[in-house]
Formats: sequence, C-alpha cells, structure tokens
Amino acid sequence: MKDIRTLKFLDKFSSLFQRAGVDYSTMRKILQVKLLMDGRRVPTVFNQGAQRKKKKADNEGNGFLKSLWMYAFFGLLTIPFIVLGDNYLFQMSIMFGFVMFIVMTSMIADFSSVLLDIRDKNILYTRPIDKKTISAAKMMHVFIYLFYLTASIVTIPLMVGLFRHGIVFFLLSIILIILMEAFILVLTALIYMLILKFFDGEKLKDIVNYVQIGLSFTIMIGYQVLGRSFEIINFHAVLTPKWWQVFIIPMWFAAPYEVALNGHFDSFYIIFSILAISVPIVAFFVYLRLVPTFEKNLQKLAVHSVAKEKKQSKFGKTIIQLVCSSKEEQAFFRFASIMMKNERDFKLKVYPSLGFAIIMPFIFLFNSLRDGGFSSISDGKGYLTIYSTMIFIPSVIMMLKFSGKYKGAWIYKTLPLGDLSPLFKGTLKAFLVRLYLPMYFIICILFVVIFGGRVIPDLILVLLISALYSVICFIILKKAIPFSESFEAVGQTESWKVFGLMIPIVIFAGLHYLSTLVGFGVYIYIVIMLIANLFLWRKSIRA
Amino acid sequence: MGEEVLSIQDLQKDYGAKKVLQGINLTVERGEIIGYIGPNGAGKSTTVKLLLGIEEGYTGEIKIFGTDISDGNIDYKRRIGYVPEIAEVYDNLTGHEYLTFIGELYGMEYDRVDYKAKSLMELFGVGEVYHSRIASYSKGMRQKLLIISSMLHNPDILFLDEPINGLDANSVMIFKEILAQLAAHGKTIFYSSHIMDVVEKISSRIILLHGGNIVADGTFAELKNQNHEGTLEEIFNELTDFHEHKDIGTRFVSVVHEV
Repeated sequence: MKDIRTLKFLDKFSSLFQRAGVDYSTMRKILQVKLLMDGRRVPTVFNQGAQRKKKKADNEGNGFLKSLWMYAFFGLLTIPFIVLGDNYLFQMSIMFGFVMFIVMTSMIADFSSVLLDIRDKNILYTRPIDKKTISAAKMMHVFIYLFYLTASIVTIPLMVGLFRHGIVFFLLSIILIILMEAFILVLTALIYMLILKFFDGEKLKDIVNYVQIGLSFTIMIGYQVLGRSFEIINFHAVLTPKWWQVFIIPMWFAAPYEVALNGHFDSFYIIFSILAISVPIVAFFVYLRLVPTFEKNLQKLAVHSVAKEKKQSKFGKTIIQLVCSSKEEQAFFRFASIMMKNERDFKLKVYPSLGFAIIMPFIFLFNSLRDGGFSSISDGKGYLTIYSTMIFIPSVIMMLKFSGKYKGAWIYKTLPLGDLSPLFKGTLKAFLVRLYLPMYFIICILFVVIFGGRVIPDLILVLLISALYSVICFIILKKAIPFSESFEAVGQTESWKVFGLMIPIVIFAGLHYLSTLVGFGVYIYIVIMLIANLFLWRKSIRA
Repeated sequence: MGEEVLSIQDLQKDYGAKKVLQGINLTVERGEIIGYIGPNGAGKSTTVKLLLGIEEGYTGEIKIFGTDISDGNIDYKRRIGYVPEIAEVYDNLTGHEYLTFIGELYGMEYDRVDYKAKSLMELFGVGEVYHSRIASYSKGMRQKLLIISSMLHNPDILFLDEPINGLDANSVMIFKEILAQLAAHGKTIFYSSHIMDVVEKISSRIILLHGGNIVADGTFAELKNQNHEGTLEEIFNELTDFHEHKDIGTRFVSVVHEV
C-alpha cells in the first residue's frame, strides 16, 4: 500500500493522539485503508461526462484529490464578492452562503457513504481496537476530507482577499471558516440523525441521492452562471438589518467583518458575531454528546422496514392501456417506469440533465430578452427554443441500457418471448410518458403563459416530433437490451453518435419554422408527423 | 481438555419490548465444536454479537477466558475470530490489501500477514485473485476470504455464521477438515448454520435455541436418545414444535397449479 502524504503529516501529531488515549498506529492503519478506498470512488462532481476513462489509465489515482480542482474552480466564483467594495455584510454573506452550500452538498453527496458505513461495525468492532480509537479515526477521516475540500475552495479567494483587504481580513476569515466547518459537520450529522430517527435506511439513501442529483444539477448550471456572474450581481446593494435575518446563517459569519474592519458596533452586528462564534462551539459539544446515539441509529440502515403496498392508480392503469397494445408491452412499460423511478444510479445520471432540459429554452429566451424586451418575445417565434429540450433525449435513451444492477438482465434470456420488441417499445414509451411528458408539460404551461394560446398547435407538433425523434435515436444508437449493461461500459463512440443526433433536431426545427410561414402549415406538419409516428413505431422497432 | 473458555450466566437481552434472549446458561470447553442452531429469530446472532461486543446492553454475565467482558477491556478479542453471516467487507480493496489490514489490526507484522494471507489464499484455491478487487470476487471467493480473515491471527475461539455459504463441495470438504484439525489443536468453534446435515456431522455438541431459550444441549447421540428421532433435522422440527410442513407444502403446490 502506498504511504499517503496526509498521513505522514499527521504523524507529526502522533504524540498528541497518544496522550489522548488513542492507539495512534491502529488509527493510522484504519485511516490509510479509508483514504485508499476514498480514492477509488468517483466523486459526484465528476459524474457528468466521460468519467470512466481515467479508471483504465491508472488504478491508484485518487478520484477525490482530482475532484478538488473542480472545487477550486468553483471557489473562483466567490472572488468578485471579495474584491469589490467594503460592503462586507452583503459580500461576505454571499461568499459564506456559497461555500456553505458547496461544502454541505458535497459532504452529503460524496461523504455520506463514509459517515454511514455500517460495515465498520462488523469489521472493526470485532477486532481488538478500543472504541476511542475507532471514533478518533472516523473523526480524523471527516476532518481530512473537510480540510482538503474547504482549502481547495477558499485558498485562492483568501489570497486575493489578503491583498485586497489586508491581514486582519485574512486571519478573521480563517477563524470564521473553521467555525463554519464545525457548524456544517454538526448540522449534517444532526440531519442524518433526524432522518434515521423517523425513517429507515432506504429513505435516507433516497435523500442522499436527491442531494447528489441537486449537486450535479447545480454544477451544470454553475458553468452557465459563471460567465454572467459579474453582470447579474449588483454590488451596490445595501442591506438594512432586519430581525428575521437572524435565520440567514451565512450572515452570522459576515457580521464579524463589519465589526472588525468597518468598526460598526451596532447591537445587530454584535449579536450576529456572537452567534457566529458561540453556535458552532455549542453545537460541537452537543454533537460529541450525541455520537453514541448516532451510532445506534446507524444500525437502522441495515434494517428494512416493511413497506406498505402501493396501489396502482386507475389513471395510471388507463394510460398504460392507452399507450401499450400488448400485455407484454404493458408489463415492460411498468417495469421500465419502476426502474427509472427507483434506480439511484440511473437517476443520478439522468435527472440533472432533465432539470437542465427544462431550463435550456429559458436560457435562450433570456438572451433574446436583453436584445428585444418582453413584448418582442411574446409576439415572436421564440417558442421554437423548445427544440433545445430535445437535446437530452439521445443521451437518456443511451442511458436506458445501463443499470447499476445490470446482472439482473439474465431474466430476459429465460423468458418465453418470441422477440424483444415489446421490451423495447414498452421501455421507450415509459421513458416518453414518465420522464419526458411531465417535463414537457411544465415547459408548455410556462410557454403558454409567455406566448399565449396561439402556440398550442406548435407545442403539440413538437411533442409528436419528440416521439418520432425518440424512435430515430433508438434505432441509430445500438438497440441494446434495456438495463442490461454496467454504467462502467459507457463508450466513446456512443457519445459521438449522441452528438451527431443533434442534426435531426435542427432539421425538424427548420421545417417547423418554414411551416409557420404558410397558412395551416403547422397543421399539415402535425398530420404528417402523426402518420410518420404510426409507421415508425409499428415497423422499425424490431429486435 | 476440560479447560473452560467461555461461560454465560443468565444472559438476557431485549430490544425495547421484545425479549430476544431470556436467560441463556452455557459453559464451553477447549476443543469443542458447537453446532449452534435454531429457527430464524431465535437469538443465535444476537448471542454471538454480544459475545463479540458488536452489540451492547445485556443483563447476566459473559466470561471469555475467565474474564468478564463487560468491563470494556478488549484484549479478549485478540483470541477470537468471526465469520459474519452477511459478507460485509471493504470490497473496493483487493484481497491482499484487506487481509493485511485486518492482520495489522491484530498487531501482526505486515510481511508476516502478507505471507500468511497469501499462503492461505493459495491453499484455498483462490491465490490468483489475491491482488484483485474483492468487488469482483464470486460468492465462494468472498466467503473464503472471510474465513481466512477470521483465522489470520490464530484465534482460540472461532464464531462461524453460515461459513460454507457459496462454497463448492470440494471446498466444503477442505473446510470441514480444517475445523476438525483446529479442534484437535484445542481451538473452540461455534458453528451456526441452517444446514442440519453438516451441523450433525461436524459438531461434538449441539445447542438448539428457540424463542430466546436453550431447548436442547448435548451430543447428537444424546439428543437422538432423548427425542427418538433419526436425524438432526427431525429433532429440530420436533423441538421447535413445527409439524405443518406437509400441509403447507400441499397448499403451496395447489396454489402453483392455479394459473
């Protein structure tokens, strides 16, 4: 095993641990193994894109350490708030809010598997290690993680701050950030504790999954916002203190700057400063008290409570019978819907881009808003931006063949099915009805609000085109059996095909634009698409 | 022989209102192979978990190697090996990394553990995956790894919970031989399983747990005399008061016939 540099640094403090009654060499061994395992996980920030390449290249590279570059990049976002102005309460609130958000979400997304590892119990507790050493190892593990994470976010911004605002600013920031870390750590643990108290482990895993999805989504949006952050933000905003702002926690950490650097000694600033210092410290001691309860609740992770039977709604049943003709197809539709809803790996890969697809048309609209103003948008052909949501269809269809539990696919081979076309049709329809339609509906409602009822025929047309386009994507991408391959097999050639599949979207959109120039053009287009759909869905989906 | 390694006095444990163990009394001597059996939920795993200190909070007294384990002294764990029922391992490590880690936790020298682990893996027919990630192991390979990890430090008591799960017949033969030899060398083995034929064959003493109580304790021959039944399976059914298997089987098949 490679010796990790972090541990060599930690060795310098070994006597400190020994004095506290911790068996240092054992703790070090546990940490070494834990850090080694961390390096082999793929962090959520790398979730998007071709993350698996590096796995082949070298097995020992630390995924976590590499992901730090990403966080450093996000740290850059805070620089404008540090550099511009002396309005510390406002600027530093935003900066602390941002850092808190990133640290907390990535802590939940990437580190919950560590905090919630119940294997420790069977593996470590049965060995001759005393409890103090085990909890010290756990604590140091979290500490190392938090240290790297925060350091990579704030190092550059703080250096900038040091030059801009001087040494007092710099030192104050370091103290406040440490306090903030303690606060986040305790808060995360308390959240877990609460969830585990009322729900079982599956629920917690779901919640962790949603946080991961949220983080991936935020990162996608982050790229978009980065370029515009300087324009959007109004640096002259002046905050007038209000009592309810006590609940905006980042403001606590911003208040000490006003006291120390601007010499504002109002009660408002003083109270916030006191909160910033005292709450994390108190919370930390409460946390130390609660650790044993936490460990006990952790056992619930392994216990699966008996779930109640979920009745299929009448509405859902009618829809299935409406879109699927044969019995097998209905069964596969139901199966694929459940897989898409329940599989955490799949959700993590697909949901963020789903959210992004909703926002896409509005990003385009936002750009033209600056050029023309609202009235020119509502009269214009801006609704054609809805085609941008179709970009995500090929990548999701490509994803449909992957599953974290791909080994379960042997079942298809043993089934008495003549051909697999019901499986393909059912899955594709499930994707359209369960994932695409709800998202499309949201956009439609917003579009009708913006553009008025006149766009309804156009929206229907786009829906038909989406259905047709899904089949085209499915045919061009390899017709692989759904949920039958490991996520690690995501190939490069496929990604190129996904890219090439943008071309039909442009053609469809162009035709749509032309049809709007002719009277009844859109209606004729709709009829053509209806026929094309019927034909393609019947004929071309064969195994 | 005759040296006492484990004694349990009136052991009781409850989870809230549910009483899982209602007063277990037991003394175990060196070199015994104990078949520890009982229906699901009888309290077998709970007993073992209490002995290992994975679970806490019980009344009664547990003494291992003559010392009470409730005082927080963990030295007794150096002489215990454990194969849990669910194969929980840090499976993103390689076999080599995992086994050396575990060995080092028992205070063994790295090179020594490495040598030992490698030899044991090779002898068990899984030497070629020693440097592969555990996640890629088959069920049998994992089980062999767990068995090896429980014995690296040459323990005096072994707690084995369904240890032959997933092993092929030849490996089971090897494993049985290992147990017999270990017992001959004075090791004590706690063998917990639902496969009655194996328990019947390998155990020198059988303890049957039912509803948190010990309902039978003795050699197979003794149990046979007391219950007038032929096999351990039948004795098990008799003592846990289960006679409906024929009836349930019939009803099951009749539901299968309804298509």
